[in-house]
Amino acid sequence: MSGRRYDDVLEGDELATRELVLEKDQVRAYARATSMYFARFTDDEGARKEGLPGMITPGNMSMGLLGSFVEQWSGAGTLRRLGTTFRGLVLPGRTIRLCGAVTQKDDATRTVEIDVWLENDDGERCVIGTATVRLP
Amino acid sequence: MALDLDRSIIGEEFDRTTYDPLTAEELVAFATALGETDPHYTQPGPDLVAHPTFAVRFKGKKFFPDNLPESLRFRMSFDAGKDLDVGVPVRPGDAITIVSTLHDVYEKTGRTGTMVFVVVRFTLLNQRGEQVAIVDNRLMYRGQDQ
Repeated sequence: MSGRRYDDVLEGDELATRELVLEKDQVRAYARATSMYFARFTDDEGARKEGLPGMITPGNMSMGLLGSFVEQWSGAGTLRRLGTTFRGLVLPGRTIRLCGAVTQKDDATRTVEIDVWLENDDGERCVIGTATVRLP
Repeated sequence: MALDLDRSIIGEEFDRTTYDPLTAEELVAFATALGETDPHYTQPGPDLVAHPTFAVRFKGKKFFPDNLPESLRFRMSFDAGKDLDVGVPVRPGDAITIVSTLHDVYEKTGRTGTMVFVVVRFTLLNQRGEQVAIVDNRLMYRGQDQ
């Protein structure tokens, strides 16, 4: 299922940044698919009643977006580990950027460590993390 | 917020929940909502597997052990992040069991004061007992002086 080979990767390689508008309906679809259909993830007014600026993206979804972003680079089925820290709110309806860079290779396990982050249109890193992929 | 915790509860299993067998539609809906287009995650058929982060959608019936101090169990917490270790692929028909343990409790002091982190670990097994994933859920509590 993999598309990228270990020997073709260098420490310092950057993943091509992916920019997208995270639509509110996409967030609602994720909330529905994960049985998290709560106001904070689906409805601006309901989210404001909880003290939020509007509906927000589940942290799990941000994690999923980063997982997909990494595998689009490394190949489906290669992700072994993904650790994320949720630092700020990810607001739907705005542009986000998914970014990453290779920090380390391990020849013994043929694994690659990648720093990843999700930033908003103000350049704030709302989610940061580290991914590990195993490559052929 | 001083931590008054009997550390012997760390590592104890406090919940075990088994879900109904998964359908292909559930796996595809999850992947599609993430904008996935890879056919391994989106095309029903013999090669369909769940997206690697599918595991984070699960939780046990009980999120905290009964013997966690009340000062943590009943206070508002923030989802500070998750660590996912990916195991064998999840396929349609798999019945996933979540084994929950309290993995760690620790304090940190930052610019905004003292915070307590509670890490709840979900170990996901399929119906053959194979490890599908380990998910560490980090919950953050701000100190009462905040």
